[in-house]
Amino acid sequence: MVRHTLFAALAVSALALPASAQDAYVVGITGGLTGSSASTYAPTVEAVRLYIERVNAAGGINGKQVRLVIQDDSAEPSKAAANAKKLLSQDNVILLVSSSVSSTYAPIVNETKRASVPILFGGGVCPKEATPPADPNQFCSTSFASTIDSRAAMTYINEAGTKPIKVGFAAMAIPISRSEIEFAEQQAKTLGMNNVGKEVIPPATADYTPYANKIKDSGADWVFSWAPWVTQIRSFEALRRLGWQGSFVTWAHIEAENELVRVKDDKFFVFGGNALFSDNLPVQREIADAAKKANVQYPVNQLAEGWVTGMVVEAVLKAAGWPADAAKVRSAMETVKVDTKGLRGGPIEWTKDNHLRTKQSYRFYRWDSKKNSIAQVKDWMTFDVK
Amino acid sequence: MQLIVNIIVLAAIYALIACGYVLIYRVSRVMNLAHGDLMLIGAYLLVATSSMFAGHPLLAIVAAVIMSFTVGILVYLFLMRKMTGEMVLAAVLSTIALGIFLRGMAVLIWTAQQQYPLAKLGFVNFPILLPGGARISVCAAILVLTTAVVYGALFGFLRYGRWGVRMRAAGQNPLLAAQRGINLHTIYALAWGLSTLTGSLAGMLIALDSGLDSTMIVIGLKAFPAALVGGMDSLIGALVGALIVAGSEVLAIHFIDPLLSDVVPFAVLIAMLVVRPWGLFGTREELDRV
Repeated sequence: MVRHTLFAALAVSALALPASAQDAYVVGITGGLTGSSASTYAPTVEAVRLYIERVNAAGGINGKQVRLVIQDDSAEPSKAAANAKKLLSQDNVILLVSSSVSSTYAPIVNETKRASVPILFGGGVCPKEATPPADPNQFCSTSFASTIDSRAAMTYINEAGTKPIKVGFAAMAIPISRSEIEFAEQQAKTLGMNNVGKEVIPPATADYTPYANKIKDSGADWVFSWAPWVTQIRSFEALRRLGWQGSFVTWAHIEAENELVRVKDDKFFVFGGNALFSDNLPVQREIADAAKKANVQYPVNQLAEGWVTGMVVEAVLKAAGWPADAAKVRSAMETVKVDTKGLRGGPIEWTKDNHLRTKQSYRFYRWDSKKNSIAQVKDWMTFDVK
Repeated sequence: MQLIVNIIVLAAIYALIACGYVLIYRVSRVMNLAHGDLMLIGAYLLVATSSMFAGHPLLAIVAAVIMSFTVGILVYLFLMRKMTGEMVLAAVLSTIALGIFLRGMAVLIWTAQQQYPLAKLGFVNFPILLPGGARISVCAAILVLTTAVVYGALFGFLRYGRWGVRMRAAGQNPLLAAQRGINLHTIYALAWGLSTLTGSLAGMLIALDSGLDSTMIVIGLKAFPAALVGGMDSLIGALVGALIVAGSEVLAIHFIDPLLSDVVPFAVLIAMLVVRPWGLFGTREELDRV
């Protein structure tokens, strides 16, 4: 296990596949494998690696192997910039994948723009530039998409709650989380809900009780949180410890499935763009088998996001043909349609103007104490992305 | 009432962490900037022992406590001992390097996944109803109790214990202490061991209450103002400083803006540095030496 961890965390040219650079598709990844957000990004990158390994073992793409060069950016912008420079100028990648925090985006976007190499955000939040009208160079396959996520959550709360609904909000004190919660507040207002409180919580907090206390005192019967997992789960647990009895809706980060089982609370709802493994889909069994064979250190149910990223990379390279260069890859990305085999509510489809996806779907889950298992409470809720 | 409970819990967290800063500074004049990282390692040791001694939670806790004390001693023996006689600044920089090293090692060994030692130990963190309708979790209550016990034990140890008196002597005048036959290396090693132990206790209890990830290091740093406000060489100062910082923080969250919670400890610190740079209970001479 330690060997594997070392492998992932050091991540300097992680894969040495039996193919020379000239005779293979070279794809670079800069990911937050260590640092504060590694729990989200390290499993994602590991799943991409696993997926591409399988593709190579099955003969590659268009008869060519894929050489994946993985770099750790520790969720630091300066390291991400250095990684991008190295991947673009030394490794000559034809596609750069970013799986890290949003603060690393600016430097790598600049580098890829200069080198005219397309960038795929897979695992990190989709940048605004991927939405219509999209930046020609930026694409995103990540399951979460700001603003649409809040629309889904608020729609669900409005459907499931007893009116009048009093809703509270919990965000992390980072720009992306705060702006999403502000959007959710507007959505709630539009839907006729009463916004009774909002707490913006610093990333590292010794005790969540003072924040939870204010939300509880606000009289909220529903709370929505869209933030890194640590803020979501700790806010919820602090609320429960204070005796709050309401319902909590939150984004299903990759940790969500195990946490539903740990928390075992019927009013703790998670929603996400990826199906949870409790759905037991054939593709999920396929991931589980692959992870077992490769002795992957992360829980299998955390690999869906990276697996989808791998599917996208495969589809793009297949469409780009051989020999491929960055321009061909970009051109292929503009029309790609990726069958996610049920991991998502539909295919990932990009157009010339829309590099997010044409439709975004969400499934809602909670713990069902009667069945003693995770239960779907709302099947795919689909929104058009315009 | 809940507000008071919140202040007491946060103050207990900061106080338990801050006494580690004070112990090392008081004895060796070194500001240990790896204290948050050592606290993190201590919490991870509990994760490790809870797996090693599955089904024996008390054994797991005792083993983690002993191991964290040992880690502190090893840090002194293999790193800080080499710094003896060097500039204080060199020692402080060494602690920064140590912190980065420990952070990396923690990810390599335990991965970056969220950990929940409480579940591994088989305990449940249920809330306790207090008078006035306030609530406190069992783990938070144990943390407050632990802080009280640790401070009581440290006061007793430093005042009445043979090694405690030697520790004070080494802190006040190392040359004279050495001439009187006190083995300074043993004293310093003991200080590092105790400091790591108290920091680890804080880390373990926070991890038991709300889970463990690498952001715990920042919590360690947030306790630093508490130590400075109280006075870096005073245990009573650390206790009072923790209460002031935690009180300001919780009140700012409740009455002004939760976003101020990150700013308030350092605002209090700046105010203290302007008015009384050596802290409420600190020694003026000691700060001048820094």
